[in-house]
Amino acid sequence: MAVEIVLPRLGWTMEEGTLVEWLKQDGDPVKPGEIIFTVESDKALNEIESFDEGVLRIPADSPPPGTTVPVGTLLAYILAPGEAMPTGRTTTAVATTAAAPTAAAAVAVSSRRSGPPISPRARRLAKQLGVDWSQLKGSGLSGRIAERDIQAAARAPRVSPVARRLAQEAGVDLSTLAAQKPGARLSRQDVEAALAAPPAARESAPLSSLRRIIAQRMGQSSRETASVTLFTEADATELVALRQRFKEALGPRQQWVPTYNDLFLKLTALSLAEHPALNASWGEGAIQMHRQIDLGVAVDTEAGLVVPVLRQVDRLSLQDLAEQSAALAENARTRRLKPDQLQGATFTVTNLGMYNIDAFTPIIDLPQCAILGLGRIALRPAVHQGQVVPRHQVVLSLSFDHRVVDGGPAARFLDTVRQYTEQPHLWLGR
Amino acid sequence: MRELTFTAAAREALAEEMAQNPAIFVVGQGIGKRGGNFNTTTGLYELYGQERLADVPISERGFVGMCAGAAMTGTRPVVDFMFLDFILDGFGELVNQVAKMQYMSSGRLKMPLLLRGCIGVGGASATHHSGNYYPIFAHLPGFRVALPTNPYDAKGLLKTALRTDDPVLFLEHKSLLNTKGPVPEEEYTIPFGQAAVVRQGTAVTVVAFALMVRKTLEACEQLEKEGISVELIDPRTVAPLDVDTILESVRKTGRLLVVDETFGPCGMGSEVAAQIMEKGFDELDAPVRRVYGAHTPIPYSAPLEQAAVPQVPQIAQAIRDLVAE
Repeated sequence: MAVEIVLPRLGWTMEEGTLVEWLKQDGDPVKPGEIIFTVESDKALNEIESFDEGVLRIPADSPPPGTTVPVGTLLAYILAPGEAMPTGRTTTAVATTAAAPTAAAAVAVSSRRSGPPISPRARRLAKQLGVDWSQLKGSGLSGRIAERDIQAAARAPRVSPVARRLAQEAGVDLSTLAAQKPGARLSRQDVEAALAAPPAARESAPLSSLRRIIAQRMGQSSRETASVTLFTEADATELVALRQRFKEALGPRQQWVPTYNDLFLKLTALSLAEHPALNASWGEGAIQMHRQIDLGVAVDTEAGLVVPVLRQVDRLSLQDLAEQSAALAENARTRRLKPDQLQGATFTVTNLGMYNIDAFTPIIDLPQCAILGLGRIALRPAVHQGQVVPRHQVVLSLSFDHRVVDGGPAARFLDTVRQYTEQPHLWLGR
Repeated sequence: MRELTFTAAAREALAEEMAQNPAIFVVGQGIGKRGGNFNTTTGLYELYGQERLADVPISERGFVGMCAGAAMTGTRPVVDFMFLDFILDGFGELVNQVAKMQYMSSGRLKMPLLLRGCIGVGGASATHHSGNYYPIFAHLPGFRVALPTNPYDAKGLLKTALRTDDPVLFLEHKSLLNTKGPVPEEEYTIPFGQAAVVRQGTAVTVVAFALMVRKTLEACEQLEKEGISVELIDPRTVAPLDVDTILESVRKTGRLLVVDETFGPCGMGSEVAAQIMEKGFDELDAPVRRVYGAHTPIPYSAPLEQAAVPQVPQIAQAIRDLVAE
């Protein structure tokens, strides 16, 4: 039976293509897998192979090589030896596919299905939302596209491949463009227009490499983590008194006086030792529990946020801790940190107390599973021993990744931090 | 509320209906003075004597045929097979006469015949006492098939069975007989063809039959700790089968697992899967999955017997896989 050879659709959006060249001529025998012609689509030159065996017959009214024709245009037939060429079009399925890996979408062949496997429910949703699923990768165990994949794709801006590449090269933020044209597919023209547009009433600062890294890491964390932030208020009166005594005792002897940050680092490390579930990372298919407690210390520098690492803080004496953290912070500000001083933290402490911030929702530094935010220590009316009196209060903000650890363990950890803040004698000797 | 065993709840339904309806009588072996091999009639012989609790010789075809005639002439026989496996010896009467009589008489004759027996795999009962067979009867037009899974449903469904004009199979899984549950003192019935949503959930719909409802519930408790929310449906009757309730659930979850103790081929899983595919293809976000018993005569050895039917870990894993699919 005659099999029609038509101009194949080589991408979901392809409407037409150029028949470039016949690699088999009228009357040639063809076998499955042999390249019979080439087609130029908007993306690339594609070699089209036969799915059937027979004799290639190119009718007289077939478009000559070099012409651009709509997808589905009849180009030729594959016939059994001796079979006459049909006079009208038959209804046989298209029997060609692209051999070149550049053609990402499979062409409709004798199977009714084209493109990747997709569940009926996902297919229906894709139609409703106008999502092109031909290039999606399914998240199912067998790679099938499920409803959740379509939902995710619908949230992402639709961008033509050319526009995506151009945007990447020129550093154009596609999500900003997408917000300006909601629902529309972003094309090359959109990106070019964005590039050509005069900087309207704003100054653009070139991206420093530090800024890029921060953007990448913060964006990744905010996209990937299931972040929850817990707040608790601690009475820091005794901690303030303790620091005062350190100051009085150590200051005159020219020794390092631990800062509030140092005191919090130490008591956080000791709390982590009691709650190892928080000293963990999200790794490839597993949760890594760390034996060592290495704390990242967020330092605000002129260039941006830097997070140097203090090793084995639970084992450091307060003196050593104070000295090392002062040195790290100084090196951070003068940009003299070595790469290994910036890597491998198992938990991070960030402090905005000096800027009069009470509480905030820190972003987890992946792959760590949690970060502790310290607010300012301020005198506030508090109920102490049944009386409302001024007390030094501090808000502790713990963001944790709910993928790695649940609310219960995280809350218990934060409560230990609170207890250690309120009663430094519980840990001071350790 | 008071608690009864499954057996006591079903017996109470029979006793209440026998008290109300003098046309009801029971036929079987050991159902008279002895009170039934599974205590289905305990205490009733003392009330109604051998006329209404008739021990008959072991000849299934004989007494099934006799009861079919009795049903057509205005009584309401209950045939107690002990083990449902023995119904097969009366199969010809059942399929050719009992199931078809109302049709052949254009509804002039009724067939209010209750066929009851224990089903299911468990207790090293060996291959002649472990049959399920309900898919066979669900396949044939004319029968109603009830599969109660708890004492409340057992009483409510048996009462409905004793008031319908159609032949009904009332099938009790032997591993459920001693399970306890709340049963109200007040009168109630449960209509046929109305599934129970045993547990509400969002990630996956599981349809389970007979004992598998309990096993799946156990699996659900494990899975809840893993954050997998399962909706569990107990159809309660397989003929008629409440496809609407299943479909409604699949509309929500997009995923369907059918858990059945008995054989896979032409089974309830195949039927539910096919109906959901026909009526709700576009609702499916993953292929329908089945968990079912091995296609084999049931072994006598207890470990082998357990290996031949779905167990909790297997059900839980199937649900995990389906949710990840």
